[in-house]
Amino acid sequence: MLVRAFHKEEKVSKLIMFHARECPHCRAMMPHVDRLEKEEKVKFERLEVWHDEKNADLMRSYRPVIAPKCGGQLRTPTFFCPETSDVLCGEVPYDQLKDWALKQG
Amino acid sequence: MKKYYRCYVCGDIHFGVKAPEVCPTCLVKNAYVEISSDEAERTSRPTQTTMTRTEFRAAIERFAEKNEFQVNADAAKVETLFDGIFANEQNHGLKYCPCRLRTKDFNEDLKLVCPCNFIIHETYKGKEDGECWCGLFIRRKK
Repeated sequence: MLVRAFHKEEKVSKLIMFHARECPHCRAMMPHVDRLEKEEKVKFERLEVWHDEKNADLMRSYRPVIAPKCGGQLRTPTFFCPETSDVLCGEVPYDQLKDWALKQG
Repeated sequence: MKKYYRCYVCGDIHFGVKAPEVCPTCLVKNAYVEISSDEAERTSRPTQTTMTRTEFRAAIERFAEKNEFQVNADAAKVETLFDGIFANEQNHGLKYCPCRLRTKDFNEDLKLVCPCNFIIHETYKGKEDGECWCGLFIRRKK
């Protein structure tokens, strides 16, 4: 008898970190992002926006969703989940970033 | 009566009945202060339009000293921000804040030119430890 095992694929939402090379808040958040990726099944796509116009345009395309949650502007760092349209803006403690990332499913 | 005005950011001199709202040289808003004719004469000799980091540092220190905020004492942070501000000027034409992204709407993006009008932002307004979004300026401790 042929037994086929089905493994439920764990669904991991795509998460984006919009950051800027010379933004001190972004630099402060990088170790948190590294740690989170190591400790949890979470992966961030890190997109630099001041030196890469393609990334900048992508962030601008999400402006209607991101800006209202970031003081009406496009600020860095911004953590964004395109699937849920959820946004976390600015330099935050590790646990806050973790809670936000795990909430995205 | 016509008077002299000088942009505290780039030193641009204006002679007129009122100060321009936006400096035509560095495009910072509300940056003009009234000065004496002596000071106008002293500072109106031809200079380079672009500022060095040292000149910019001196300009924002002057800007902050008469206000309720100061330049962040974290020297490493300030240097990183200067790297971004000057990279943005070189790559995008103006000293845009390195912690926000320009929209490509020129008038809208003037709000991002450093020093910006951060005192109206939620990161500063009404906060004892308020600072501008990037952290270059912080509220002075009482």
